[in-house]
Amino acid sequence: MEIDANTLIFIIIILFIFFSSPDGDGVSSEYEFNQLEILKEHMRMEFNSFTNMSYTDNFRNITGFKLSYQDELDKHGINATYPIDGKNYDNWKTNQQYLMLPDEVRNYIKSDVWNMSPVDNIYPWNISSTVIGNIDLSSNHKFSKIKMPYPQFYEPPYDMNDNTPKTGDNYIEDWSNTSELHNVTFETGELSIKVSHLDDVTNQIDSRKRYMFNSQDDRFKMLILQVDFHDKYEKEKHSINSLAVYDIQRGRILSFSDSAKFHSLFAFPHYLTLTNSDSKDEESKTIYEESKKLITEYWNRSNFVDTITMTDLHNAYDDANNKCEYMMFLQLSPWNEYDRDEMKLIDKELNWPLGRPINISKIPPVTIKSGLMYSPDCGVTLIVNASKGTLYEIKMRTIRIHIMFGIVLFIAQIYLLLRQMQHTNTPSSVNKISVYTFSMINLVDGLLACIYFISASVIPELYLPLIISAFASFILASIFETRYLISVYASQVNEQSVSIRTLLSGNLEDAERLGDRPVIIPDEASISSSLYGRVFFTLFVSAFVVLSSLTWPLHVRKIFEYTSLCVLYSYWVPQIFRNAIKGIQSRSARTRNNNTANRRQNKLPLLWSFVIGTSVIRIFPIIYVFTYSSNVFRHHRDVRFAVLLSLWLAFQITVLYSQDILGARWFLPQHTIPEGYSYFKAITLQYLSEHGDSNSMETHSVDCAICMSEILLNIEDVSETHKVDIYSYMVTPCNHIFHTACLENWMSYKLQCPVCRAPLHPI
Amino acid sequence: MSTKRISKELNDLAKDPITSFSAGPVGDDLFHWQASIMGPADSPYAGGVFFLSIHFPTDYPFKPPKISFTTKIYHPNINANGNICLDILKDQWSPALTLSKVLLSICSLLTDANPDDPLVPEIAHIYKTDRSKYEATAREWTKKYAV
Repeated sequence: MEIDANTLIFIIIILFIFFSSPDGDGVSSEYEFNQLEILKEHMRMEFNSFTNMSYTDNFRNITGFKLSYQDELDKHGINATYPIDGKNYDNWKTNQQYLMLPDEVRNYIKSDVWNMSPVDNIYPWNISSTVIGNIDLSSNHKFSKIKMPYPQFYEPPYDMNDNTPKTGDNYIEDWSNTSELHNVTFETGELSIKVSHLDDVTNQIDSRKRYMFNSQDDRFKMLILQVDFHDKYEKEKHSINSLAVYDIQRGRILSFSDSAKFHSLFAFPHYLTLTNSDSKDEESKTIYEESKKLITEYWNRSNFVDTITMTDLHNAYDDANNKCEYMMFLQLSPWNEYDRDEMKLIDKELNWPLGRPINISKIPPVTIKSGLMYSPDCGVTLIVNASKGTLYEIKMRTIRIHIMFGIVLFIAQIYLLLRQMQHTNTPSSVNKISVYTFSMINLVDGLLACIYFISASVIPELYLPLIISAFASFILASIFETRYLISVYASQVNEQSVSIRTLLSGNLEDAERLGDRPVIIPDEASISSSLYGRVFFTLFVSAFVVLSSLTWPLHVRKIFEYTSLCVLYSYWVPQIFRNAIKGIQSRSARTRNNNTANRRQNKLPLLWSFVIGTSVIRIFPIIYVFTYSSNVFRHHRDVRFAVLLSLWLAFQITVLYSQDILGARWFLPQHTIPEGYSYFKAITLQYLSEHGDSNSMETHSVDCAICMSEILLNIEDVSETHKVDIYSYMVTPCNHIFHTACLENWMSYKLQCPVCRAPLHPI
Repeated sequence: MSTKRISKELNDLAKDPITSFSAGPVGDDLFHWQASIMGPADSPYAGGVFFLSIHFPTDYPFKPPKISFTTKIYHPNINANGNICLDILKDQWSPALTLSKVLLSICSLLTDANPDDPLVPEIAHIYKTDRSKYEATAREWTKKYAV
């Protein structure tokens, strides 16, 4: 291969960008290097403080936990720099003197959230799921906001020469200026918590190898929660990524957000025990020690300090500036219908499905009985109402079944399309199909293929079924439908510059101009390349629009969804118009002249099985998504729209059917349709003597100039020729006679008489 | 359809042969023919025999046959590859045309070249400016390649 200078420079630039990009930890300047080193040192120091802290000690120098709620109440505006004068560091009690929680909140947690007895209740081991529920604002002004400074080394440099990050703490004074999310203003909203287990960790940056760290996973588990809550109209959205500890014996989940101003990892042991009023009891001591062990194991195994990257630092800094910190206390509902052994079996079966004797479909959802969210630095309390979510593994199974069903629908659609293609295998029958109908159908399938491809890359668990669906829809859209579209389009190239009225009437004055047009000989290759280009262009543009619509505000998104569905589900409308233009006769008229040529001439372009089948296949997913409230796509329920859309589709089919019965133009007033020229007629003897050749008077036939074989004619004056079907030949306005099949075929190339080049009008 | 029509044309050619050319299929393939044209007497190509290769498309007669000279010829409308610039072989094709009509048109193209729509502009230029030089070269080429 020859490489010219440009290519070489391009490759060098690419390689330069590739190799000069920052290493795993993302450090790209001396300042950042120093920042990261200070952070690592800082975290080590806090971890030491955490290790030395005993069950009866207060938090010492741990970012975010330096002040208690009482400190804020007593000395409002106190600086949170360790050590604070007069603060008792050698004692720990579960009240607001020591906790960041006001006593009122702490008492609520004790009485209404973490109120289940640890005895006799069994909680699921595996709770990975997306829990959906409601959230109510309890108060957003009642409690004082606790000051939470972040260490100043987190800040980016002020100028390029700055190499040493600043020391000291920074207080975010003008909260409202730096962030719009420093308060929760809606009364009630929707909550979704994506729960996933953190069982294994990597101990190096960029390493794929993962290690289990938890030695007590029958008692405690670490979770990652992705908490999103927003008001009904999605105007105010909050989203928190947080680490959590799940106390399996008690069904409690404690979750803390984490940022530059809230190093919450070290607070889990103390806060897990907050319901025990007597801080000296054995149970809470066990909880404290075990959860501390969990955190320590996590810290050591994940090599916590060495795996911190610049990205983590930046994210922590951004979160500190933009978000409130949240503590979240959740209580699960027990699964008391199972015993411990069954629970183990379920866990195994979900991880490695081997067909163990468990009824998977009977497994209850992960249910949050009650919960509370409290933000110490924003003073917001939120009550989490009962929320539910199907276990992730079971949800994946359900989705897999849905996708399989979708594949069946695709295959059915391919079969119907193949039958339809077989039905219209001549240029003149394809000519009656509407390009737009199939373009719309094609666009939907192409979009589905795009969506499937994208989701296959996003959801690795469903890669195989999604890829199969993507493949099936892609085959359907790009091979079968586009192929058919090309043949339909090719058969109609000649009509492109002809007005609808000319097509309707076959008016000759208009048709005269047709002869002057540059002659188009449809070349399938060029048509298909241009059509493929157009199809893919439209597809990518619409896929882009659909993808970007996901981020639009709720009401705009709804309007977009409804209008695009309405438009895309009007796919029979263009065919109705096409039928009217082509003027298919009524069914009775067609059966009256029932012979082969005529039937060919007048057969309905679309198979009824195709029309009904396609409509059902396409409306089915819509009905499912819009009416079945617990559908896997979490789509909102709107029965009215589903019914309206189905009725609209049924109406289109009814019109198509009425065209079949009454004739395609029944809804057009008679006088608007000018009497067109008819190619089909009996001819006179006089005509034959003028235009026929030497022996045509005896044989009552002429030769077809196209296929060079004879045409039997129906001659008005000769009764024995009356059995000849007048639809078997065509008489042009210039008085030339051809076989119907021959001339129709030629007219799909060019609307011009083969013999005298006089213009012809379309049939 | 196309097979029927091509064999019909073959029969017609056999029934009433035309003196200025002859044509027939190569081997068993009805879609591939060979034809030879006698250089018209009143042209510089007189005395030469020019061979042409003919390919019928599968949708013949709705699309024109592909005809090209296999014998080298010096003509403004025929290039070195033997491609012919003739409107009825392109956008003016009509299914009522037959191979013999097309070959006759090619014969008359040899007599009367169309230098205003040339395929080889150099030859067309000489044709228009120095007719005798053109005729001499054409005669020379005919002698060299077509006798």
